[in-house]
Order: sequence, then structure tokens, then C-alpha cells
Amino acid sequence: MPETQTTNFGTISFAPESVFEFPNGLPGFEERRRFLPVQNPRTAPIVFLQSLEEPSLCFTTLPVWVVDPQYRLRVMEQDLEVLELTADRQPRIGDEILCLAVLSIRNTGTTANLLAPVVVNLKNYKAVQAVSAESGYSHRHLLFPQEAVAC
Amino acid sequence: MLIMSRRQGETILIGSEIEIVIAHIGRSRVRVGIRAPRQMAVVALEVKLVSEENRAAALAPPAAVLQTILAQLLPDPHTFHTLTDEGSVRQDAGTKT
Repeated sequence: MPETQTTNFGTISFAPESVFEFPNGLPGFEERRRFLPVQNPRTAPIVFLQSLEEPSLCFTTLPVWVVDPQYRLRVMEQDLEVLELTADRQPRIGDEILCLAVLSIRNTGTTANLLAPVVVNLKNYKAVQAVSAESGYSHRHLLFPQEAVAC
Repeated sequence: MLIMSRRQGETILIGSEIEIVIAHIGRSRVRVGIRAPRQMAVVALEVKLVSEENRAAALAPPAAVLQTILAQLLPDPHTFHTLTDEGSVRQDAGTKT
């Protein structure tokens, strides 16, 4: 089983078929094409996306339905092509695709990028960060709005 | 901001090298053709926002993100400490066996 060096998790071994392949990389990281999903039962449902090409590059993500149970996915035609999915309808989350929101930290707290979720075709593990401009979702969706914390 | 009205098929020039053609006007969206020098990046604003957001996300190591989430889930410092202590006790017990 191949191994990879990582800054955050040390050396991890992985099954080659579990690698997510981003044919176009991610916006801002266009040259980073291969990511390994890393999960730990103690931090579930969080999924870490560890780059296989840059040991220090690791995104922390959550399934979009954990962030917003009503989330409606809107993948543009050109992204569906990258995923090798049919362009005549939207793919089904959980069934055909995995849909993850990338987390980051701001002064206001943890935010999730719902404007551009990472979408992975579960059949071939092709992946794309699908910028869905018409969805109306924010790239800085607050994970825990203030009122929820105050109770 | 300069606002201009254009019909389908009409063109706007920016400087001498950038041409913007209103290719098609639909009910809720407009298709725009852009002719610009090759070295000039042309992207939708959202792609730039996502690109900046990804760079910010990459600077936050997993441990820091987990810590922020935990601190937000357990804002009471007392609760937070109790749980952390219990966790470390359990971990110590595990290494002895």
C-alpha cells in the first residue's frame, strides 16, 4: 500500500483507489490534482482533504448537509463534464456524489464555503470544486450563528 | 460605476485591446463574449472569491479548525476544561495497557 508524508497526520498509507482526482485542481490551487480523504471516528463527520502533492496542504471539510440540511446543489454544466456525469439533470448527493463544504476560520468563527462545494463522483472519484454562482449561497457561511451559541 | 445600455450583438470596448460582446440576452441571464490579450485572466468574480477563500482555508491547519469548532460548541470555559481533562485521562489509561 503506498504511503504519503503529511505535515498534519504524519505518514499515512492509503489505497490508491480512494484518491480524489481534481482534473483542474481547485481555484487558487490549480496545480494540486490529487487529494486523499482522511477521516477519524473521533472527528466525524469531518473529512480532511489531504494533498498528495504538497504535504502541508490539507483542507478541513464537512458534508454540506451537516452544515445546511436544506442545501440545494447547483452544479454548472462544465463541472458536470469534468465529473463525467450526465448534464441533463443535477446529481443526487450521497447516492451519486459526495458534496463537501471547505471550512476556514475567521474572527467571527468557523465558516463553510457553500458557494463552491467540493463535489466528488462516487463512481470514478473525479472531483471538482463547483462554483455555483446562481445558487445564492455564501462562500463564508457562518457555521454557528451567534444566536445558536447564546442559548 | 459606468452604466451602459447595449442590445444583443452590440459591443463595448475597454481600452484598445478588450472587447466585450453581448452575445445573447435570455430571461434571467446574459451571455457575454470577451476578447482580451491572452496574458489577461478572465474569470467570474465568484471564482476569484473562492480562490481567495481556499487560500485562507489552506492556512488554517486541521487542529486549529477543530479547536475553533470545539470552542464554539462548548463556549463555557468550565465545560470545555472538564471534557479536555477526561479525554487526557482516558488517553493515559490507554497507553498503559
